[in-house]
Amino acid sequence: MQLFLLQFLNGFQLSMLVFLLAVGLTLIFGLMNILNLAHGAFFTMGAYFGLIIAKATGSFWAALLIGPLLPFAAGFVLQFYVLQPLAERGRSTHLDLALLTFGLLFATAGAVEYLYGSSFYSIATPDLLKGRIAFLGIEYPTYRLFIIAAGISVAAALSLVIDRTLIGATLRAGVDNREMVTALGININVLFALVFGFGSALAGFAGVVAAPVMSIYSNMGIGIVVTTFVVVVVGGLGNLKGSFYASLIVGMTDTFSQAFFPEAELFAVYALLIAVMIIRPQGLFGAVGRLA
Amino acid sequence: MSAESLCHKDREFQSLKLSTFPDSRRASAALFVLTGAVVCALPSFASGYAMTLAVEVMIAGVFASGINLLIGYTGLVSLGQAMFLGLGGYGIAVGTALLGWPLWVSAPITLVVVAMIAAAIGAICTRTRGVEFLLITLAFSQMFYGAAIKLRWTNGSDGMSGIPRPDLSQLGLSAHSPVVFYYYILTVSALALLLLWRIVNSPFGSVLIGIRENERRVMSMGYAVANYKIGAFALSAVICAVAGILQAQYTYFVNPDSMSWQVSGEGVLMVIIGGTNVILGPFVGAAVFVVVKQALSLITDEYNLFFGIFFMLVVAFFRGGILGTLRTLIGKWR
Repeated sequence: MQLFLLQFLNGFQLSMLVFLLAVGLTLIFGLMNILNLAHGAFFTMGAYFGLIIAKATGSFWAALLIGPLLPFAAGFVLQFYVLQPLAERGRSTHLDLALLTFGLLFATAGAVEYLYGSSFYSIATPDLLKGRIAFLGIEYPTYRLFIIAAGISVAAALSLVIDRTLIGATLRAGVDNREMVTALGININVLFALVFGFGSALAGFAGVVAAPVMSIYSNMGIGIVVTTFVVVVVGGLGNLKGSFYASLIVGMTDTFSQAFFPEAELFAVYALLIAVMIIRPQGLFGAVGRLA
Repeated sequence: MSAESLCHKDREFQSLKLSTFPDSRRASAALFVLTGAVVCALPSFASGYAMTLAVEVMIAGVFASGINLLIGYTGLVSLGQAMFLGLGGYGIAVGTALLGWPLWVSAPITLVVVAMIAAAIGAICTRTRGVEFLLITLAFSQMFYGAAIKLRWTNGSDGMSGIPRPDLSQLGLSAHSPVVFYYYILTVSALALLLLWRIVNSPFGSVLIGIRENERRVMSMGYAVANYKIGAFALSAVICAVAGILQAQYTYFVNPDSMSWQVSGEGVLMVIIGGTNVILGPFVGAAVFVVVKQALSLITDEYNLFFGIFFMLVVAFFRGGILGTLRTLIGKWR
């Protein structure tokens, strides 16, 4: 039972980390119909910028606050000055844009390698979150509980903003009918770029949050982004609530298969993906898609 | 849609079936013959280095041609075709080294197995379209990549070495000689290209192009679209596996890196550089890519950085590809 609880918390922790990435990806896809394959790059960018800030100020909290700003700026610039103009020129369908971001993923990994080499770095766990907390007969690292709390807070805040505020209403309207939102006098390009930046900032936030438990290295984003892709496909592309539940399903599958069936570790997540594709190709929580 | 525009669409579809640009046929035939002559005579005047490059270009070209069948002709953008490149290499490695089969048994069995695996994967992947298809092919290739790294009986991330080249001793030749190996690669590439050309110009190929242009219409004409897509996926995989076999023979070894999604991306890039849905496009793209990669490796260690930037520039500004642009120019000039 204790082992189960421990693994459950590990799975929860992984789920929330993946959720922070998946929700940004989902937000961008749902609104702009752009599959941002470079999402992992923003994760890496956030972690490294966090590392710089942490070194300069000696504070994890400063890194957590300022770290995501670089991915935010990069995401905003990418959407406003690159993707949006290309989409408007009509030459590029959303598949082209996905391929462009694929190039960006490798360019960022390469740039990081150029600047920092292929060494591994880490940000120290803040004093406040050091140590373990004992409950229900187990001891669990406080920092990992913090990751879980961070994920849940972001999910709750996002669902509040999107369901209950004017910004949320505008976003939902933008998904449904872009022309109409523009006609109401909203500069949709700026709004889209802001959302793109915000999604990227969430990925960067995840990068800083992950830094004390994972190593920081140039290809760190490429590994986790594939898990994120599984999540968004399982949850249904563009479905925000789906991305939360799918993160939990994928994170738990991954953790529990590693703990109890180590041989199947590699395949469990993909087996899940295949099963979902066979039963519901549009994703577990997606609406039934239109044909062609 | 009015009757007139429907009629127009039909004519468009007809011309697509023959060749996207009618006038370009003679030009492309001339180009074909010219390239063929140069390529056949290459060993008589080129240096060993140029021949090595040419071998790399042809192998990459076969791989990219397999991808082009999916991207260019069927309109399905896959970012996972490297898994079949790797499976081809691993197939003959397992067949010859672990099971002790001769190469001429291992290679056909590898292709048959890859076709069956690809049909199964294709049946799952083609249930989605667009970016979801791209994501799920990527996930599958990552699964094989992960498996290749973990599996102990294929030496994990070290890979397998000692891949045999074909035994040509009965002809009095040795495939270890660069010239003989060059002609071996040339023959296989030409056969692969011929196969692809036959596929594209067959009724089957026309249906694939129809799916690319208007899937719903092809469906309403009574074609089993899903089966055609799966067929295209499997054929594409087999051609990629052929490239994988050649690649493994060229380097005498195979390792998991041949299945990474960067390799898939490189294949897609070659297709885009050369021009999608042009039969020779992937080979032109492969030539540009291999030469650029060589040049980059001479001046910098940061291959990833420049690969990424190069990729972005090509996608952003050069969507038609070299042959696509050429074809448009010829069309304007006439």
